[in-house]
Amino acid sequence: MSILQVRDLKTHFFTQDGVVRAVDGVSFEVGLGETVAVVGESGCGKSVTALSILRLIPKETGRIVGGEILFNGRDLTKLSEEEMRSIRGHEISMIFQEPMTSLNPVLTIGTQIAENVVRHKGVSWEEARRRAKEMLELVRIADPERRLDEYPHQLSGGMRQRVMIAIALSCDPKILIADEPTTALDVTIQAQILDLMIELKKKINAAIIMITHDLGVVAETAQRVIVMYAGRKVEEAPIEDLFDNPMHPYTRGLMAAIPRLDIEAEVGGRRTRLHEIPGMVPVLTKPIPGCAFAPRCAFATDRCRTQAPPYVESTPGHVAACWEVDRVREMAA
Amino acid sequence: MTAYIIRRLLATIPVMAVVAIFVFLLLRLAPGDPAALIAGDNATSAQIEEIRQKLGLNLPIWEQFFLWAGDILRGDLGKSIFSNMPVTTLIAQRLEPTLMLTLATLIVAISLAIPLGVIAAWKARTAIDRVVMLFSVLGFAVPVFLAGYVLMYVFSIQLRWLPVQGYRPLSQGLWPSIQSLILPAIALGMTYVALIARITRASMLEVLAQDYIRTANAKGLATGRVLLLHALKNASVPIVTVIGIGIALLISGVVITETVFNIPGLGRLTVDAVLKRDYPIVQGLILVFAATKVIINLLIDLSYAFLDPRIRH
Repeated sequence: MSILQVRDLKTHFFTQDGVVRAVDGVSFEVGLGETVAVVGESGCGKSVTALSILRLIPKETGRIVGGEILFNGRDLTKLSEEEMRSIRGHEISMIFQEPMTSLNPVLTIGTQIAENVVRHKGVSWEEARRRAKEMLELVRIADPERRLDEYPHQLSGGMRQRVMIAIALSCDPKILIADEPTTALDVTIQAQILDLMIELKKKINAAIIMITHDLGVVAETAQRVIVMYAGRKVEEAPIEDLFDNPMHPYTRGLMAAIPRLDIEAEVGGRRTRLHEIPGMVPVLTKPIPGCAFAPRCAFATDRCRTQAPPYVESTPGHVAACWEVDRVREMAA
Repeated sequence: MTAYIIRRLLATIPVMAVVAIFVFLLLRLAPGDPAALIAGDNATSAQIEEIRQKLGLNLPIWEQFFLWAGDILRGDLGKSIFSNMPVTTLIAQRLEPTLMLTLATLIVAISLAIPLGVIAAWKARTAIDRVVMLFSVLGFAVPVFLAGYVLMYVFSIQLRWLPVQGYRPLSQGLWPSIQSLILPAIALGMTYVALIARITRASMLEVLAQDYIRTANAKGLATGRVLLLHALKNASVPIVTVIGIGIALLISGVVITETVFNIPGLGRLTVDAVLKRDYPIVQGLILVFAATKVIINLLIDLSYAFLDPRIRH
């Protein structure tokens, strides 16, 4: 049973240079308690998708222009701002990429966790503070009683991200959206935060939408993966299928671009170069009639450039938007 | 925190010392002989010399300074050349109207400006924002004396709601006193409403674009809490700074307002003393004004530590 269904979501930004189609017809579902990863390069629309679900798109420039987001059967795009506010931080919560700037510098950690609990659970501040302390213990922050009265600048980046996770989980959300939760951290801290999330995953019942550009993070956390490119979903698959048998040329390119110690070993005294996808991410202000990846794709034909590719299902639950899946598969074999 | 307060307190001592030297020199080196002035047009040179002796004006300048500074430290600001009344008494008599006017103006200015600035930032680039900013440009552009006379004409002469001029001391009751302050406070406050509203808007706009505001919204907090706690507290340092500068400007501004509204405060005392070259009064007033500004600056510095934990630690 799915808790979230995103159908044909379109989020556009209206800028001086024209309409940026940041998310242009994305559909996916998230099951109860499932972890779904959304991957893609910077600017592919993955963060905008996440912000659209919570309706946190800056309203001066951006707007959800089409599609629906069904959460427990309610279309979030149709709710009033007030109804959205009772869902945010409560039933759907979010953690962000920048732990250094995502906490309010002039409020104590305790206040920032407890206010969420007071807002959504209607409990007293004393009760909320007890909950805040519990949450700090849950995210493995030492000496939580003292930390409650400290300010963000007294905490390291990793600790701040733990606090963000504590806030996000404080009201037992049904869905946790993690927007690149480890990207801004040092590598060792990244591993710690990721381990914490995997550990918490077992304790909580929330579904997780993990937004990342790091396929390593995907492999460690998710059950299902959605690959996005230029505001569209290009491939979706259960985790093993994606790594074993990527269908879309873009997904294959992404995987080839992961630095791998085993094959990067010296070959005849020369290091093999890291693979990169040729070309540039397309400009999103112009409508793209065909496949958005066609200009960079080795398999592209005229049809790819003029007609939007349909989703092709290879095995159950594994779909890709590509006209040339058969040729791509032959090449791989 | 205590160390921070002590450091700030100690820092005020050299500032006040420099002010004292400056005040002393400024008036001793100014053209014109106070002794001749006091003696009047028909005085003989012997009479002038006698006055000079009496006031110590014939002593070496550094000796004059130390005598004067010593008196000040004992709380003696000297005596008026003309009325022979102690300067401290004269200032004390005029303190209440000025303090009350400054306070009333600040209350008017802050209670209007901060909500206006917050609303303008919240509704940035909408019609509401533009109307608020238009009014604040107007408030800034209209001189105090013009606003004063217009307000007086409408509310005192035409509508007869408020007294035309003058000040009623607190001893005659709080309400009459407030009534006599309403128009001057609005006239004087308009500039500060504009100033404080603009800085509030600018500071809030900057803060509202920060990641932690997005976090606050992602928690589903009420708009009021996001704006007034999460945003305004972060935006408050520049606002408090401008309010402090505003108080300093206000003290200079009361000179005009007190003249327009015929309020017997320190502003009027200053004008009268300057016109009559009553040196001890002018010196005393400059010291009082300077000390007030130093104290306000100190309070602002201390408020930073209160508002921003990063300064405190």
